[in-house]
Amino acid sequence: MIGHSIDRRGALLGGAGVALAGLGTPWQAGAAEKAAPFSVVINTSPWFDGFRGVVEQYQKETGNQVTLDVNPYAGSLEKQRSSVRAGTGQFDLLIMNGLFYPEMYFGGFVVPLNEIDPSFKLDPSCATFDDTIYWDEKTKTCNAKTGKLMSMPINPNIPLLYYRNDLYQAHGLKVPQTFDELYANAKALHNPPRIYGMVQRGVRGPADVSYDWFPYLNGFGGELFKDEKGGDFTVTINSEAGRAALNFYLKLAHDCGHPNTGGVGQAEVIQNLVTGKAAHAILVIAAWAQMDNPDKSVVVGKINLALPPHAPGLKSAPTLGQWLGGIARNVPRERQEAVMTFFRWFQTYDAQVKYTVAGAPPVRIDVLNSDMGKQQKYRWMPVMAAGLPLARQMWTVPEGAQIVAVLELRLNQAITGELSSTAALNTMASEIHAIMEKGGYKTGRLPDLT
Amino acid sequence: MSNRRRTADVARQGLLGVAAVIVLLPFLWIASGAFKTQIALLTGQFWFKPVWSNFQELMFSSTSDYLHDFGNSLIIGLASTAIVLVAATLAAYSITRLDWPRWLVHSLLLWAAIFNMIPPITMVGAWYVMFRSIGLDNTYLGLILAHATLNLPLSLWLMTVFVREIPVEIEEAARLDGCSTPSLIWRVILPLVRPGLTATGILAFIFSWNEFAVALNLTQKATATVPVAIAKYAQEFDIKYTDMAAGAMLSAIPAILLLLLGQRHIVKGLTAGALK
Amino acid sequence: MGQPRAARAEAAWRVLTLAPSLVLLLLLTVLPLAGLLAMSLTYITWEGGRAHWSFAGLAHYRELATDGLFRTGVGNTFLFAISAVVAEMVLGFALALLTSQARWGQVAYRTLFLLPVLVPGIVIGAMWKLMYNFDFGIINQALALAGLPAQDWLGSRATALASVILVDIWHWTPFCFLLLLAGLQSLPADVHEAARIDGANWWQGLRHVTIPLMIPTILVTLMFRIIVAFKVFDEVYLLTGGGPGTATEVVSFSIYRRFFTQDRAGYGSAMSVVVLFVLALAVILAMQIGRRRSAAA
Repeated sequence: MIGHSIDRRGALLGGAGVALAGLGTPWQAGAAEKAAPFSVVINTSPWFDGFRGVVEQYQKETGNQVTLDVNPYAGSLEKQRSSVRAGTGQFDLLIMNGLFYPEMYFGGFVVPLNEIDPSFKLDPSCATFDDTIYWDEKTKTCNAKTGKLMSMPINPNIPLLYYRNDLYQAHGLKVPQTFDELYANAKALHNPPRIYGMVQRGVRGPADVSYDWFPYLNGFGGELFKDEKGGDFTVTINSEAGRAALNFYLKLAHDCGHPNTGGVGQAEVIQNLVTGKAAHAILVIAAWAQMDNPDKSVVVGKINLALPPHAPGLKSAPTLGQWLGGIARNVPRERQEAVMTFFRWFQTYDAQVKYTVAGAPPVRIDVLNSDMGKQQKYRWMPVMAAGLPLARQMWTVPEGAQIVAVLELRLNQAITGELSSTAALNTMASEIHAIMEKGGYKTGRLPDLT
Repeated sequence: MSNRRRTADVARQGLLGVAAVIVLLPFLWIASGAFKTQIALLTGQFWFKPVWSNFQELMFSSTSDYLHDFGNSLIIGLASTAIVLVAATLAAYSITRLDWPRWLVHSLLLWAAIFNMIPPITMVGAWYVMFRSIGLDNTYLGLILAHATLNLPLSLWLMTVFVREIPVEIEEAARLDGCSTPSLIWRVILPLVRPGLTATGILAFIFSWNEFAVALNLTQKATATVPVAIAKYAQEFDIKYTDMAAGAMLSAIPAILLLLLGQRHIVKGLTAGALK
Repeated sequence: MGQPRAARAEAAWRVLTLAPSLVLLLLLTVLPLAGLLAMSLTYITWEGGRAHWSFAGLAHYRELATDGLFRTGVGNTFLFAISAVVAEMVLGFALALLTSQARWGQVAYRTLFLLPVLVPGIVIGAMWKLMYNFDFGIINQALALAGLPAQDWLGSRATALASVILVDIWHWTPFCFLLLLAGLQSLPADVHEAARIDGANWWQGLRHVTIPLMIPTILVTLMFRIIVAFKVFDEVYLLTGGGPGTATEVVSFSIYRRFFTQDRAGYGSAMSVVVLFVLALAVILAMQIGRRRSAAA
């Protein structure tokens, strides 16, 4: 885990940073605002310790009570659903991830924050997660211009490129910016069966291979939908850019990857990294904590981070795997206001530093850019600071689960060779188009690739 | 004759021994995981240095409610098993011996079997709403009733088989002596179905002990059970294998104790003696 | 002796013995099942925090008929259930027979053979996944010691389903073992003696005496084992997630995905109803065959 203990130098640096920044925060620690007790529904995750730590701090500083209902990931969605659909909900603050929140927005289960507290403003240095914290009820799109603020950013989870810095030094390699550079580096370090140049997720799961592939799709300039924010859901996945992205993904797996990429899931990617069998992986930041833990890894201190590469001339496009905090509609007003009080505290610089120290990445860009990032332990922070503003959502429609099911199956079949990349792309396009048509969206599709 | 007996015995022990090893190996591998560091488990280390940290984190860390959940599971397991055994045995006796119309008996058994075919998770929604409306969600009673209901089909069918095997003559003799139904069940039927009752009870308890989907949805922090606690270690993309293994090992203990205690009852039937 | 009083007491007992089971079943099973049926005929959407039910008629069932993934799922599940259950019944019976006749160590063996079923499904799935792991799994390590090449047990279509079946066999043979053992122990001892005195060897004794007497126990064990096998979820979820491709897609997984992950309660319910129907048919058929067989025996 990102440690519970900080060394003295870290404490000094951190403390100095906090003191300096504290001059600018509107919140005065100690000016306790009394609020009703409220409950949070959340699931276990590598960054959970961070959230728990910051909640304990909140309780200590303000004397307000917070109950955490901690659940396993499998079944979390069902539990949240049961609560929001009941007459009176059990949980006030819902911690939702990318697969949950579209359902909550569309179903009207969470309340816009300003409806509870019209004066609340999101701190400008908070990441907005590709505008997914906003939602426009009329157009049913996530955009900051016309949308209302629906949720608080809680966890910025984006994939970054993990690479073996020690091997880079030994072979004189440079951090790759483009996909071709990544390929070259991976090829240079590929030495099976001792070490694989690159380990990718190819398994068919709840959101495995598709989440792994999306940075490639967007990095090559491809898109799933033509203009989701503008409401145009024409399916464009089978464009030339899409084909380039999929072919590159397959080539990387075939030439420099794990021999059984079709069966590799996130746990296996992490496993390969921590056991020293992978030279590169594109993996979520949430998995970072294990890398430097001697109980969990043999490559302590050897792994560094970079932004996922991109096609020349384009930008890196890490895909969001974010967690948002929404307030349930079907709970008493005073508890909703209590959550707002917590949010006001949570988004301050001070609280965000405590959040980071407790083990979760902060949602404030200024914390990410602070001097904390100069420490060896927090060497991921500058990379996150650069990556968060570029982060892209996969989609925000309740049909998301059906879409991802299609993507997972067909991409997996492309990796195992069951389908050619062209056939996979065309099939995905036609199946997703059918789903969007059924949902009554403005949609169309590109003609089949040949 | 005794030589053939001896070779048969040796052959039997040999086969049993081989089977025991095959069954035991994966179990031991899981058990060893509880004492390893995560990296030792991941790299498949055979010879490893044992650590206690997994058990420490499981039982004593501030994030873990394991011991509390363990107690919950015990209460729910014992109570639901008791309820289902009573209900199933009484009903089994009733339908085999107390002259209910055939169509009723068959529909009851068929309904129980069909109900058992539905994945429990699709029923949780309805149960949650029902229990919540009468205030039984997040209570022991709600989950106890749910588990008793889930176990009822198998228990009912099994007890029906075992009760039916009791020779009618024994019962008729008792009736002639003026035995009433409750006394008959308590003094005659129960001792004779002990092996079956024990087996059914063991299965019902184990099932309740390991049940996850319903427990997750009908409980919260205060009433959570062991599988819910263990499942928390299978996170979205990071499975904490060693903690899971430690949790599984601890959770096997009451079941193993129950097995050892129940051994006395899975013994040769007493019907042979009774007939003579 | 008060005859009418005793008769009334008996009548009361007749009802009281059946009551607990009836109450549990009526209260807690009818409603969910009825709900399932009702949902299979509707579209349910949520807006503004409220549910909207609209009648769908047989639309879901029609869609099911064209759902290729569902058909694959049913096929895989049948294959899985039958192979696994047959293996488990045979192994369970063999172990029960051996254990019931063993001279010493009965308690040890009875406890040992039951260990796998004590472990929660999620743990079994996660741990076996590690054992099957291509790079570090203990199975491939053992193969390497014997000089054999490593296999991608869960990642290759040829071996994925078989690997999952193996895990199921390890997990559930104890279930069959326990019930069949209890059944064997309930058999009157004198029957075996009589057969032996008549000069029958052990195979004949088995075929003509033991098995026919055990048929009720065998049938119930078989029926419930098949029902549980059809509901297999935990292991598949953790081991393969339905892959590679659709090699291990089982029906409960398809239902779970539709019902919960995709929040299509209506469609998921229709799936459940169809599976229920198919399963019930299969079980009734099997029971009829079994009843005819045991009547002939």
